[in-house]
Amino acid sequence: MASEVDPLETMPVSRYAGAVRWSLRIWFFALIAFLYLPIVFMIAFSFDESSTPGLPIQGPTLHWYDVMLNNRQLLRAVANTVTVSVVVAILATVIGTMAAFVLTRGGLRYPNATRIAFTLPIMVPGVLIGVSLLIYFARALDLHLSLATVIAGQLVVTVPFVVLIVSSRLQGFDRRLEWAAADLGASPRQAIRHVVLPLIAPAILAGALISVTLSIDEFVITWFTVGNEPTLPTYIYTKIKFGVTPEVNAVATVMLVATLLIFGIASLVLGRARRLTGRRRAAPRA
Amino acid sequence: MATDVVGEAVLAPPTTLATGTRARLARFAPFVPAGLILVGLFFVPLTLMLVFSFWSTNERLDIVPAWSLVNYENFFRNPTYVRTLLKTLVMGAAVTAACLVMAFAVAYFLARYVSRRWARLALLFIIVPFWTSYLLRVYSWQAILGERGALNQVLMGLGLIKEPSLLFVYNDVGTFIVLIYVYLPFAALVLYSSLDRFDFTQLTAAQDLGASPSRAFRHVLLPQIRPGLITACIFVFIPILGEFLTPSMVGGASGLLIASLVANFFKNLLIPEGAAVAFLIVAFVTLLLIIFRGYLRVEDVYTRG
Repeated sequence: MASEVDPLETMPVSRYAGAVRWSLRIWFFALIAFLYLPIVFMIAFSFDESSTPGLPIQGPTLHWYDVMLNNRQLLRAVANTVTVSVVVAILATVIGTMAAFVLTRGGLRYPNATRIAFTLPIMVPGVLIGVSLLIYFARALDLHLSLATVIAGQLVVTVPFVVLIVSSRLQGFDRRLEWAAADLGASPRQAIRHVVLPLIAPAILAGALISVTLSIDEFVITWFTVGNEPTLPTYIYTKIKFGVTPEVNAVATVMLVATLLIFGIASLVLGRARRLTGRRRAAPRA
Repeated sequence: MATDVVGEAVLAPPTTLATGTRARLARFAPFVPAGLILVGLFFVPLTLMLVFSFWSTNERLDIVPAWSLVNYENFFRNPTYVRTLLKTLVMGAAVTAACLVMAFAVAYFLARYVSRRWARLALLFIIVPFWTSYLLRVYSWQAILGERGALNQVLMGLGLIKEPSLLFVYNDVGTFIVLIYVYLPFAALVLYSSLDRFDFTQLTAAQDLGASPSRAFRHVLLPQIRPGLITACIFVFIPILGEFLTPSMVGGASGLLIASLVANFFKNLLIPEGAAVAFLIVAFVTLLLIIFRGYLRVEDVYTRG
């Protein structure tokens, strides 16, 4: 912005403008408090000595972390979740990115209808996808429910996310860069590998991240497609339904820290990528 | 931008213009896995569910392929089910309205009074809870709203109530509060991105031309952010039609929503009956999506912040 003061900005809008502004500011902080309240409680209860979470909090103790680390079933569920989320993220990212190329580059007859078709699995509530997959797997295909069916179920929502995110980036992509590469002797494969992919990398990474986090947290579809091997959310749900289990709060706290770490690292990487590619239309590095 | 380029290259090099069946197939090939997932794991199962909804279950919980509308009839004949459906719609509308108002105030504040840099940071703060376990966030509300929960302790500490109140949990109030909590970030994100594009000097201009502040707000601001408002409504209302987890955690026996019915039918292996209810929701959601298809920029909602 220019250093001189814009007369329109300083023009008094209303006598109450100041009051409005202050009440909005208070409202903002109240809302942040509302959003973080349960998380603060979750973390606090994970250090609570009492086995029935409630106020006042006694402690602090690391007892529940100890319980968590010695809970074989829980660790098993964590391992399952990690396996599922890694497989889902890799498959969804690769499959979704490939499809996004076809979708944006004229390989399909009805690209707009296809794009709407891909928004459907995201918008249709998970419970409906879950029960329809349950019927399909268990009654029609007579499959044994396992982690494989969980992965299949989660791909239904993660692939569309990657398709939509990557194709929206590809649409804004300046194809003349690719043609320039071809002009300079690059094969189509080389042009994609060295020009297109580096430029759309942030979108691919964003798609992969959304896939991982959705997969780790996915409960609804997983609940209907899971067999004997639980994932972390389905394990926690059965535990909560069974009774009060404070180690669940410890798990949640660890998960929160892990998610924040993943996002922190990702935003650092993305920030770096953005700096390398410069502003939108800046020329690629030599 | 390329507007200053003379004789801009608008034609692709001939290599990528290859035509013919084989080239078309080669270009289509990378789409196949995603297409198979979309069709084979989404459209086919939903269609199958529709088929099952016309069948029925016998006493031994076997599915009998006898075509009839009896599952749908039973649903609409049962006053409890119909009441649950209506309650879900009312709950959805109330939560959507509350989210819209609450999120609008924040988005307006961030878009108008806060520099873009700080606004981005604030949005990040609003989204972070969204990326932590949904299940456990809902679960911790039990500890806040419950009988021994924080809210009761605070109210008792202030002397406002004498005994712990059960007003807040295991009923519709609990579901209402927690649903607002879960869907508020969506609404805030969508509304911020449309308010961010709004030029607030227009409000000043309108007042300069004699409009009262509230009139300027209604006739200048609201029409311009209408798409954002509609998108926010869809992103809050539709998921609520599929909510069964929140009611099961804080809604208690009386707080069931329509999707809880689906989950319960399936738990009791009454698959055709559950499929019928599920299909009613699918049909309704599809209808909403078709009406508002122009407002579904999913990638914009999820890649912000």
